[in-house]
Amino acid sequence: MNAITSIRQLWSGTPLVPAGSAEETASASGSIPAAELRQLNAAQPGASVSGVQPPETSFAGLLGQMVEGVNAKQGIAAQALQDLQGGQTVSLHQAMIAAEEANVSFQLMVEVRNRLLDSYQELMRLQV
Amino acid sequence: MLNIIPSLASTTAALDAESTRLEVISQNIANANTTRGPDGRPYQRQEVVFENALQQAKAANGAAPGLVAPQVASIQKDPRPGRSVYQPGHPDADANGMVQFPNVDIYEEMADMIVASRTYEANLAVLKNGRSMALQDLSIGKH
Repeated sequence: MNAITSIRQLWSGTPLVPAGSAEETASASGSIPAAELRQLNAAQPGASVSGVQPPETSFAGLLGQMVEGVNAKQGIAAQALQDLQGGQTVSLHQAMIAAEEANVSFQLMVEVRNRLLDSYQELMRLQV
Repeated sequence: MLNIIPSLASTTAALDAESTRLEVISQNIANANTTRGPDGRPYQRQEVVFENALQQAKAANGAAPGLVAPQVASIQKDPRPGRSVYQPGHPDADANGMVQFPNVDIYEEMADMIVASRTYEANLAVLKNGRSMALQDLSIGKH
């Protein structure tokens, strides 16, 4: 069971179950949309169903969008610096601002990852 | 895309505008003694005119719509007459030996340059504050 699945289950109030039976339990209790679970458990055999689009609003989806956004900002900053070096019409402050924006976005992503990891470790310390 | 540092769009536009102003001032100072341009006339002092532009293009970039950012509206020539100096040996002297010099006043340009520099500095301070606000946001919840 991965951390995201665990956190979702904690949020929605269902008991922690072994990874194999997660889908059946959830669909039986009806508390977690099956499509989201399928997406979260996509790495596990038997859990993925073709033809179902994962919802954009799931946490994993948001995290993916965030990583893509940060990556795009890094690309923009690198391009700005490259243009500056190449003598294109990019001013120094534009390049620096792009780099700083990429820096802060990256720090935000690292913070989200830290929180996620903290939650996971908190779960691992849970007394059953 | 998310707008992570507040004030970014307006401040970037202001920095662009102020650096254009500094370019124009440097051109004025550099040509303070140019007595013949491509049209055969002495250099004429230029100045920038700023205008507000609705950030419609930048609103897609995450900034709040309805904000206005400065931008350079035009670079216009100063119509004031230049100074005349008596230099009969100068190749650009007229029949009376008078040479028309540009209407650039170095002291005025220096004052303008200080204004541009301070405005730039103020915008950088805004940017620094925006960055520090974003970084403080990131420390929410830390022990």
